Amino acid sequence: MRSRVFAFIVVLLLSISACGGAVSVSPSPSITASPFPATLSDFQNRSVTITSRPERLVSIGPSITAFLFALGAGPRVVGVDDFSDEPAEAATRDHVGGIKVNFEKVVALKPDLVFSVKFSDGTIEKLQAASLNVLVVDPQSVSDVARTATLLGRAVGADGEGLARSIQQRVDAVKTKTANVATRPRVYHEIDASDPAKIFTVGPGSYINDLIDIAGGVNIAARAASAYPQLSAEEILRSDPEIIVLSADAYSSKPGDVAARQGWSIIGAVKNNRIFTIDPNLINRPGPRVGEAAEAYAKLVHPELFR
Amino acid sequence: MRTLSILAFLAAALIVSAAAGILVGAVAIGPSDVLAALFGSNDVNGTIIRELRLPRVLGAALVGGSLATAGALLQGLLRNPLADPFVTGTSAGATLAAVGAIALGASAPIVPLAAFAGALVAVTIVWRLARLGGSTTVLTVLLAGVVLTSFVGAVVTFILVSSDRLALRLRAVLGWLQGGVSVISWEELAVAAVIVAAGLAFALFLAHRLDAYAFGEETAATLGVDPDRTTTAVLAATALLSGAAVALAGLVGFVGLVVPHALRFAIGATHRRLIPASFFAGAAALVLADLGARVLLSPAELPVGAITGLVGAPFFLALLVRSRRVVV
Repeated sequence: MRSRVFAFIVVLLLSISACGGAVSVSPSPSITASPFPATLSDFQNRSVTITSRPERLVSIGPSITAFLFALGAGPRVVGVDDFSDEPAEAATRDHVGGIKVNFEKVVALKPDLVFSVKFSDGTIEKLQAASLNVLVVDPQSVSDVARTATLLGRAVGADGEGLARSIQQRVDAVKTKTANVATRPRVYHEIDASDPAKIFTVGPGSYINDLIDIAGGVNIAARAASAYPQLSAEEILRSDPEIIVLSADAYSSKPGDVAARQGWSIIGAVKNNRIFTIDPNLINRPGPRVGEAAEAYAKLVHPELFR
Repeated sequence: MRTLSILAFLAAALIVSAAAGILVGAVAIGPSDVLAALFGSNDVNGTIIRELRLPRVLGAALVGGSLATAGALLQGLLRNPLADPFVTGTSAGATLAAVGAIALGASAPIVPLAAFAGALVAVTIVWRLARLGGSTTVLTVLLAGVVLTSFVGAVVTFILVSSDRLALRLRAVLGWLQGGVSVISWEELAVAAVIVAAGLAFALFLAHRLDAYAFGEETAATLGVDPDRTTTAVLAATALLSGAAVALAGLVGFVGLVVPHALRFAIGATHRRLIPASFFAGAAALVLADLGARVLLSPAELPVGAITGLVGAPFFLALLVRSRRVVV
């Protein structure tokens, strides 16, 4: 029973936004002179040819959906995954499943291009077997965001470079603000404490780890072995975070719960009442709002810079 | 005399296991710092030892001691070496009640009481079924346990999935299901300790009646033991001990089966010895199992139930094969 519960949590956690894990990132995609036909190299180094401007798009991945709408391709999106709720208009499109993709629904929508995050269960291969043209796009870090904007722009025939530049400018503005801070507070970002003995946090290679860095903080798990490591309460107490950040969703702990945990009253962030929550959609999805996410995080870590 | 020395040995084993459990953890703390922490040093080491490790070790000891004692009681009552709170579904009944209480927002003192009630209902059902079973008692008890456990699994899954719709406290339930003995507050520990003390005193008081029971109910009656009252009392003591154990640690299997069974070889089947010996040995065994759970795959941690299952399940199968009553 326990293992089933655990699997349930892991699936929840790693569902859409983080299902790829650590896979090496290829150099920038190639492109032909005129927009179409275009041959692009996707996030799995697959070569994908798009013969003409795609008119019926299906997006499997909330961050992809957000990019497509930001690129002005929203009217051409006919289907999205169940988690795509940004912008609000995206949720009105036909749904094609969540953790498990409903292949029949995808085929029935007759898309001429399908975007998908990485899947390890053969979903991409099945979509291809159904004669669909699939482009794998799976941003996992802040630096992936510009690449995603550019790649999606080329795929749909929109100005991806322009979007990438404006996103980068906003990120750089936050970086400039936090560049010369006197102190970089220790930050503990909690992902899931369902197992109180081994709490999921963020490690190197994760999007949130990048955000903490840009915000001018130091992630207490910055030297962990994986992108989503588990820490014991002993380790968290020992590292004495000055700021604790929680996701403001139904599944995450509340600041009061965290402060009330046995032994945690010794932690600086608890003593000084610096336990904050942040909009989950901002931090779970490396999307076009990355600049906004970096700024929101920086306001928690260095509120003095934003007065 | 021999009994006393065995009890002293088991108590010493418990103290040594507990010391090991306090010395080893996710963060390295030297023995002298651990000693300083136990006696009130005010730094982070003190907090880690006093607020995290000590309650964990004490909780594991209480859980192991309770389950082993409850196992000894059930084995005596059912005259069946294959009984314990886990395989009879008693722990499952306690789990269901505890999950229900937590999902509805109950706090620390309520959860073990609910678990006690759930355990009492489950163990009474099993007892009634066993009495119906006649010569197939062993199988009936085990099947009743399987059925209760899978029923509880289904209901818990239902609670987890419907928690949104029914406005239940999903996170609290998940935390409890996942936590095992890993995170135990002093408040939970205090409530459980009172219940365990009551169950243990009850069990010691019932020991000589169970010894009379070993010869069958009719013989017990001729020896002046009222079978119905004894049965009720043993079921209640079992439920107190199993309920407290489940409230602290969730489902932990096979401790109640293996420990009393192994002890019978060492000290015989007399319950006056078996019950206190089971408590100490079960406590030491689960403290060691929890230590193993923390150390084996470090820095990852296994649930303590995985360790007891690894050791206990093969032991259970071996017993099942040897039990002629089942093979027929």
